[in-house]
Amino acid sequence: MKKPPGEEPKDALTVTPPKKWAAGVPAVVHALEYSLEQTSVGKTGVDLLTMNQVGGIDCPGCAWADPAPGHRHRNEYCENGAKHINDEATGRRVTDDFFRRHSVTDLSGRSDMWLNHQGRLTRPMVKRPACDHYEPISWSDAFGLLADELNSLASPDEAVFYTSGRASNEAAFVLQLFARAFGTNNLPDCSNMCHESSGFALHETLGTGKGTVSLHDLHHADLIFLVGQNPGTNHPRQLSALEQAKLNGARVIAVNTLPEAGLLRFKNPQKARGVIGHGVQIADRFVHIRAGGDLALFQGLNRLLLEAEDARPGQVLDHEFIRSHTSGFEAFAEHARTIGWQDVRAATGLTRDQIAKLRDDVLRSERVIVCWAMGVTQHKHGVPTIREIVNFLMLRGNLGRAGAGACPVRGHSNVQGDRTMGIWEQMPDAFLDALREEFGFDPPRAHGLDSVNTIRAMREGRIKVFLGLAGNFVRAAPDSAVTEDAMRTCRLTAHISTKLNRSHTVCGETALILPTLGRTERDFQAGGEQFVTVENSMSEVHTSHGRLKPASNLLLSEVAILCRLARRTLGGEVAVPWEEFEGDYGAIRDRISRIVPGLHDFNRRVARPGGIRLPNPVNEGVFPTPAGKALFTRNAWEMPEVPRGHLLLQTLRSHDQWNTIPYTPNDRYRGIHGSRRVVLVNPDDLTELGLSEGAHVDLVGVWTDATERRAEDFEVVPYPTTRGSAAAYYPETQILVPLDSVADTSNQPTSKGVVVRLEPVAAGAAQG
Amino acid sequence: MHTVEETIDIAVPVRTAYDQWTQFKSFPRFMTVVRRVEQVRPAVTAWVIGVGPVRREFEAEIVDQEPDSHVTWRSLERRPGHRGEVRFRPTAAGGTAVTVRIEAEPRGVAGRLSGVPGLTGRVLRSELGHFKEFIEGRGEAGGAWRGSIRHGHVHPAEPEPPRSRVPCWPVG
Repeated sequence: MKKPPGEEPKDALTVTPPKKWAAGVPAVVHALEYSLEQTSVGKTGVDLLTMNQVGGIDCPGCAWADPAPGHRHRNEYCENGAKHINDEATGRRVTDDFFRRHSVTDLSGRSDMWLNHQGRLTRPMVKRPACDHYEPISWSDAFGLLADELNSLASPDEAVFYTSGRASNEAAFVLQLFARAFGTNNLPDCSNMCHESSGFALHETLGTGKGTVSLHDLHHADLIFLVGQNPGTNHPRQLSALEQAKLNGARVIAVNTLPEAGLLRFKNPQKARGVIGHGVQIADRFVHIRAGGDLALFQGLNRLLLEAEDARPGQVLDHEFIRSHTSGFEAFAEHARTIGWQDVRAATGLTRDQIAKLRDDVLRSERVIVCWAMGVTQHKHGVPTIREIVNFLMLRGNLGRAGAGACPVRGHSNVQGDRTMGIWEQMPDAFLDALREEFGFDPPRAHGLDSVNTIRAMREGRIKVFLGLAGNFVRAAPDSAVTEDAMRTCRLTAHISTKLNRSHTVCGETALILPTLGRTERDFQAGGEQFVTVENSMSEVHTSHGRLKPASNLLLSEVAILCRLARRTLGGEVAVPWEEFEGDYGAIRDRISRIVPGLHDFNRRVARPGGIRLPNPVNEGVFPTPAGKALFTRNAWEMPEVPRGHLLLQTLRSHDQWNTIPYTPNDRYRGIHGSRRVVLVNPDDLTELGLSEGAHVDLVGVWTDATERRAEDFEVVPYPTTRGSAAAYYPETQILVPLDSVADTSNQPTSKGVVVRLEPVAAGAAQG
Repeated sequence: MHTVEETIDIAVPVRTAYDQWTQFKSFPRFMTVVRRVEQVRPAVTAWVIGVGPVRREFEAEIVDQEPDSHVTWRSLERRPGHRGEVRFRPTAAGGTAVTVRIEAEPRGVAGRLSGVPGLTGRVLRSELGHFKEFIEGRGEAGGAWRGSIRHGHVHPAEPEPPRSRVPCWPVG
């Protein structure tokens, strides 16, 4: 067993200039360094060489698609994927003795990094009421305790079942089946906090909630927009696709508040040009936009395209596409022509001439793709922004055509698949009818709670039991102090987890840790060795086979935990063969194939190399909106009011981090080393605010309620963010995101648009 | 630009010849240089072409397609690129005249090699002969796609083609 670190590392910030390129040899070195620190050479070899290969482990790191079978590299993973998978394959273990030595109170004072570094959980643990320590519990007793608590609820709606995007399709399907058989649609998920705005906007305008492009399209696009996303850190394998596109002649426009290294240049460590050469330039044009200005940017761009059409009638817009496949164009165009350049300038920081350069790029390009991520979705107007992107694509027929389309870039590896499996609090009746038909019980129809509404309901005392399937809800959710108080109101919180995190330490009166197999591990059940399936960001559903020996003999798979819990809770109430499901995941896939459209013959088709590509109706010429056509929309924006002396803060991840878990306190690309308590601010803003480099400040949130939201003692780092924008790491600054500050329609927390002021800390206080 | 064009008369009705042509995945059954075809979606196909030990892969976009009339395509690779067209015309005898025209960007030494390996009039003639033999021998098409494509956009034949029946609810 590898020894975990005993004490928290001390903060010791050093700052170096931000990198101007991503990956290259340092990426390989850092990946191997972290891997070997966590696990052995042998395990690292097995997991890395089977990662993202046909018949291998699907990297849980992100949802980026794999190249077609036969076109994959021997090493088909990135630095962060390698770190993530070996973080799971770690040789460190959390023992009974660990929990005897560390009380829950002690653990709740520890950092996310320290908790993660303790290693893999090995047996079920319980924290009983009025106790401050976790102690061992048998699986049977754990299921009994949870089942009794669930069955004692006044209503099934007093329970909540949360899913993280790491969960497999099979586990997700079983969880939603259990929740609905139990009687609730309370199925919040991490999607609620990352791409919910994309789903709502795409569903409303195109009739489908998923992106429309595949790797083929990216490789052959003429122009690719990267809006509010950081591929170098959050989806590094996207850089290979962008490199391919560039080599094929594409231009790339990056729109961001920060000049991220991965947007500028990529040194592919698998190519000579990336190891000894200069790599490939990614962005031909970097648009340094103000936080939240993307809607105004696309509206300005759309106005310029309409004016270009006026100047050259019939040569700019795709009239046939607009006529035959869309509706609402006239009203949209009328509104777009009223967009004021002063307003656009205020929102974006860009002049009309700067946007006209983008228009010229667009007019030179036959095939255009827009990729986006949370820099777009996590704003109050995230949904209208994506609707405006759809308007932009439709003007020149860049939808449903080769090399063109909409590309929301998702994070968690199976976040899209979990939704396909029915993890959503508002599933349509057709899905619920299919469940009734298949299993003979009537699923509840009233919509359940999403993530934000779950916290609101907890706060009001309406939730008694919280079960988390993977993830770290307490840290992923906004308004940390509010969320933590809310979690503590629960009678029972239970988490199905591989490693320790803060959600185990901020818990209900009773708390359960239900340790589970990781994606990397072999999964033997009564029916033999099992595999699971996942769906990537490009709607490809494929298998993932664990390759490593489980971290402990006492671990159960996610499916096994959920099936046993369901049996214990529901007894024979519903005709679901939980035992058969646990023994053979193929039996679950058989049922999925009869319930989820497009996954017919699931078992046979998913076994083929590359799996199943779920078609996107848009690419079939079908727009499943009520009108049967794609909708042009009129979108208004309302920029957050940022009073003088305040900044608009965005929370973001460092390069050495996976979701809520930092691996080290470094952020190599941004030149931040040794500390995460930093706030990145434009040097001119610092001057205006009277702050200097290295000053210590509290970040204080400004919101409409009376609550003070304060993130204490951050060191100021001058950084080339856009004027008026600041950035600091998530989840440390989640405390500043008000629970009620959500995107319109999608109810997604606005973690990229938080109004803050920087209050200098007295010198003595900073050191203390 | 290296251009080849061949026409062949086939003794089946236009609809039969056209429908069979839309079954791209079946091409390796009767064409000798086509090793594998994947229909990525109605307007995008991925091809593996091989002559002797030489293999070339390319993806093609169907730009225009009209049932019982024509299919025009272009390779998505731009260097080297090619574009092609197949037309179906009824003959007086009740059969079909199938004309294929392919324009390929020259590559290699002095532009003598085409972007599509082995593309010569003789090879195209021979492959069309294989198509004729296949569909005449069968007498009926092994499937059909009756939608149309205009400027790369698909117009399905039915209100809802089966392939579009997939989960459409919002995905976060």
